[in-house]
Amino acid sequence: MNYPYFKKLILVATALSVLCLFPVAVLAKLTAKTNHDHIKVNFTYHGSIVSVSGETDPGTDLVIKITSPEGHQVLRRKDKVAGILWMNVDKLTFEHVPNVYFIRSTKKLEDILTPEELDKYAIGYRALERQAEITPDMGEDGKSRWFKELVKYKESSRLFAISYGNISFTRKDDGEAYYTEMYWPYEVPPGTYTVTVYAVKDGKVVDKAEAKVVVEQVGFVKLLADMAKNKGALYGVLSIVIALAAGFGVGMVFRKGGGAH
Amino acid sequence: MYLYLPVALTSINIFLPIGLGLAVGLLSGLFGVGGGFLMTPLLIMIGIPPTVAAATDSNQIVAASTSGTYAHWRLGNVDFKMGLFLLAGGFLGGLLGVQAIKVLRMMGNADFVIKLTYVLMLGGVGTYMFLESLSNIRKKDQDGKEASPKSDSKFGRFLKSLPFQTRFEKSGVTHSALVPVVFGCLVGILAAVMGVGGGFLMVPVMVYFLRMPMHVVVGTSLFQILFTCTEVTFLQSYTNHTVDFTLAVLLLLGSTIGAQVGAVIGRRLKGEQLKILLAMIVLAVTVKIIFDLTLTPDLLLSPMGGH
Repeated sequence: MNYPYFKKLILVATALSVLCLFPVAVLAKLTAKTNHDHIKVNFTYHGSIVSVSGETDPGTDLVIKITSPEGHQVLRRKDKVAGILWMNVDKLTFEHVPNVYFIRSTKKLEDILTPEELDKYAIGYRALERQAEITPDMGEDGKSRWFKELVKYKESSRLFAISYGNISFTRKDDGEAYYTEMYWPYEVPPGTYTVTVYAVKDGKVVDKAEAKVVVEQVGFVKLLADMAKNKGALYGVLSIVIALAAGFGVGMVFRKGGGAH
Repeated sequence: MYLYLPVALTSINIFLPIGLGLAVGLLSGLFGVGGGFLMTPLLIMIGIPPTVAAATDSNQIVAASTSGTYAHWRLGNVDFKMGLFLLAGGFLGGLLGVQAIKVLRMMGNADFVIKLTYVLMLGGVGTYMFLESLSNIRKKDQDGKEASPKSDSKFGRFLKSLPFQTRFEKSGVTHSALVPVVFGCLVGILAAVMGVGGGFLMVPVMVYFLRMPMHVVVGTSLFQILFTCTEVTFLQSYTNHTVDFTLAVLLLLGSTIGAQVGAVIGRRLKGEQLKILLAMIVLAVTVKIIFDLTLTPDLLLSPMGGH
């Protein structure tokens, strides 16, 4: 074996590990994991509990953000017509707004992060509103009014939620472990959701870690959903045939049962 | 007990749709309406997306109207000949109505005009039917016999003068074949434009213009609705993928039974009583829509589709 080469290797390895260790001395590496990254949706599915846990540096605040990929939302807009009647007047498109948006933080967002940082990491409704684009253009006041309406609609459908507190910490020898759990509403559609945990200190994000939650339809639920989507004609015919059979079936039962005297 | 709905993408307490089905099915069997004007908003209220609510309701009505038609046919209350003529007209009307919507949309402010027409028509039909049956019930109390419909009006004479006069045995009336086709077509246009099934219009048309006895009207209307909803269910599945079959099964568990019970109850009521009850329901729906239109809604944004 080439001895000097081996020595060099040890040196490099030592240097590398020191380099790696150095930031750790300042800040424990932030980690994040979820209790189950696959939520299976079958007929008995009625929402789930998702917990997010990991390790963090003592003395930092945490912000946990769960979102669907940034997308666009198209919704119908109601407004007063002729000054008296509330009617659907047109549709609004919200660009750069996720379908699902959950935030949980240790403290109130505005108290732990500067407005610049909130905007930079798209944390909080104010930041979401800033990055959103509404078409047709509603003007500055209109944008803020209709974004508020969007939040109201999303919160009522349980697809948006912001809360603070309810994150517990336990001291460990080399850092701190955090744990939080939240109800995962059944209204959240199948898809892949990103969980981002931000470590916050002095108004700034100092570290972040990611995990995923996948919501997936399985078994007969998946079969029916896929069929409705991809084999519309067959699905329609089957739905009709079964409805007809059920109608006739019940009619026969009632005749035999003496329902119609 | 909860069940997850694969197309509506939501979980629901199964007793809600079964109960709703029973109630609306009962109205269906009693009055010969599909009940979409009640069922669709109720489904939306319990958390079903509007597009799925409307499409799934039509699937459910296929079952309820089959059950109801079967029950009424056994009671001898379905005029198949009249039903088919009306259907032919209705089919034509549906095609024309879709074009009419396009023209109205181009003129702008269409939805306002349509909604207003819908409310006025619902209110007008309800009020007329209510007052007319009320006066008939009073008259009967005095005479002790069925009030015979006036057939000597100008309109009546005009109908008699049309060609292709044919006898509708079950209904006991003679009309030109053109009459049911034209009325079917008109109702078809209105139903398509207003985005409703049209049962609440078809029933009064059969009673007042075609002068059919109320019990035959109910059975024949259900027979017609069966066809219309079959077509709508297929089109919704094929083009919009919005029929939730699981939800439809829950609904039809209630509605097929409700329709049978409705038919049995209907047999024990007089035509005028049925008419006045239907009129009251139509008026209640009118009032509800007026409230919806004038009170500030909680949410100003809603998912696409539906009414």
